Amino acid sequence: MAEEKQLTEQESLQLIQQMINKAKGSYHDTGIGPILWGSVITFCSLVTFAQVQFNFELPFDIWLLTLIAIIPQIFISIREGRMRKVLKYEDIALGYIWTCFGVSVFLLIHINAGIVSHLNPIFKDYNTLKGPHEITFDYASYSTSLFLMLYGIPSILTGGITKFKPMLYGGILCWVCCVISVYTSIKTDLLLMALSATAMWLIPGIILRRKYLKASECLKN
Amino acid sequence: MFKELDPILHSQLRLAVMSLLISVKQAEFIFIKEKTNATAGNLSVQVQKLKEAGYIDVIKEFKDNYPNTSCKITKKGIAAFEEYVKTLQEYLQVKQP
Repeated sequence: MAEEKQLTEQESLQLIQQMINKAKGSYHDTGIGPILWGSVITFCSLVTFAQVQFNFELPFDIWLLTLIAIIPQIFISIREGRMRKVLKYEDIALGYIWTCFGVSVFLLIHINAGIVSHLNPIFKDYNTLKGPHEITFDYASYSTSLFLMLYGIPSILTGGITKFKPMLYGGILCWVCCVISVYTSIKTDLLLMALSATAMWLIPGIILRRKYLKASECLKN
Repeated sequence: MFKELDPILHSQLRLAVMSLLISVKQAEFIFIKEKTNATAGNLSVQVQKLKEAGYIDVIKEFKDNYPNTSCKITKKGIAAFEEYVKTLQEYLQVKQP
């Protein structure tokens, strides 16, 4: 691009529009983060489903894997930040959205633990007094719905902001699963969670990864 | 009487750089070079002119042990860009039948 070229007013406006579009069309995600979380949540949901279905228990809580997955996520975030050539306003917004989401997940776990610790003794006492007419209410079944509602929010926002339809549709599917899970048993809820995590994170992550590798290959050649 | 178009912005490469920077928070020199298809030498000169005008901030830092230059638009730059676009629109409105 030559500096000296004198622009007409029309050309100036066209150039402005062209450069703004170029800046907009430079969304790059390596896809590793969504693949990691899609895999972890799907795996944990399926293992928990197997535990309920086949009546066995692991010596540890499989969901602890989500805590361990935070470590590689920190490294992924640092590495992606270093690789980034441009920091867009939407990147900042997405950063806040996913940070709020991560914190909200831990807050929900904390709230759920509080609710369960209060509800369990009440139901135990009630069932002892009531005798054969036991209340079969299981809060855990509804907590899956709450998590699905929460999981859908950042996925829909990310898909919408970046115009990445696989994540947007995956997030919508997650909310559909959230509605269904209110009326289904805990076993079905876990399958719905696995389906949601695969649809909104794992599959979009693989698509992003393939796009990223293809783009990197083009730059090398 | 029309206002004169800002001579700092009314140049192809400088306008391209400003149009890129108005849409992002911060961009590396290499990113601007890729998007404008300019040579490193020419781009350096124009970036320096924009910096001297106070329209952009140039941030020099080390990234993975290599020097790295990034640019971001200043408040003065945003105001100048907006004024430039407004003046352009005035010109074009009169030219239209």
